Amino acid sequence: MSKTELEEDLRATFDRAAASVPPAPNLMSRATDGARQAQRRTYVATGAAVAAVAVIASAGFALGGGLGGSTVPQPAAPAPAVSSATPLAVSEQLAGTWRPLKMDGVNGLKTARPDNPTLTFNSDGTWTGSDGCNGISGTFTIGQRGEFTGTAGNQRLIECANVPHTAVLQAARRIAADRTTLKFYAADGREVAIYARAR
Amino acid sequence: MEFEEYASARGQELVRLGFTICGDYQRAEDLAQIALMQAFRSWRKVQRADDPHTYVRRILVNSYLSMTRRRSFTEAPAADLDPDHTVPDPANDIVASDDLWRALATLSARERVVLVLRYYQDLDDRTIAELLGIKPSSVRSLASRALGTLRKARESHRVDERLP
Repeated sequence: MSKTELEEDLRATFDRAAASVPPAPNLMSRATDGARQAQRRTYVATGAAVAAVAVIASAGFALGGGLGGSTVPQPAAPAPAVSSATPLAVSEQLAGTWRPLKMDGVNGLKTARPDNPTLTFNSDGTWTGSDGCNGISGTFTIGQRGEFTGTAGNQRLIECANVPHTAVLQAARRIAADRTTLKFYAADGREVAIYARAR
Repeated sequence: MEFEEYASARGQELVRLGFTICGDYQRAEDLAQIALMQAFRSWRKVQRADDPHTYVRRILVNSYLSMTRRRSFTEAPAADLDPDHTVPDPANDIVASDDLWRALATLSARERVVLVLRYYQDLDDRTIAELLGIKPSSVRSLASRALGTLRKARESHRVDERLP
């Protein structure tokens, strides 16, 4: 069989097949209805995403620089997703006691200290903790638009290998928290500290 | 051209195109509906295209190829099923009477699409390549391989017919 003959047969077969297709009823309305339904589903999904973004924003920290020891500029990191769905849930995620795993420009976090260098966020907007040698405390707020303010109260300063929790709180602009990890980010997106939930 | 105008004028044409590439009437309707839905959602963009039909046709063909790459595919149902309403599948008659139609079912999805676009839609290889996002040489290669397969199938069928 020549190629041309096969091609002609193909054309005829396709034409015959196409001609055999019965009219599709209400095709236009089905398409528009389906598109609108899909659009509604998209709106719902978008609404959920917006709510999640709002939660992230509400968990943000006030602007500030990095910790004192760090001079090396770091590339900005994207805002991590917070696993909670509402501002209340963020507070719940944040609430509890955390221990530092990593701090920008700080070495020796595992050095033995008189006290465990933990930081505790309370649901009433106060925080307490220890820098390893001194009890520290203050307050914090998480605004609707992501503003964070933290204050540190008066404290005795016994010098040791102090863990600069206060510096972290002052430097951080945003946080990301889940059940096990709490991360603090500076205004430029730089990760300034990582904490793990203390058991 | 408004969407309603386009869908009324070319909707059935899309179903026919869908049927030639997939060989299944119900799926052809699904493909046409998916293509129209997507076009409807971005109709302003479609309107700005040089040829809206080419744009929608591209959606349909690529939706089909995406479906064939997945084990299952996501449908967007727009109406409740009517169990009392059954639609005769014209493919049954064609398959029964046309060995070439039957042989088309043995081709890969991409091979069959190339043949449909070339011999049913009368598109040149460059346009087919643009539509599928591949090189014109790949279109020629796919078409050549598909035609070879069909030629062999047909010759084999004729030999079978001569056998007692």
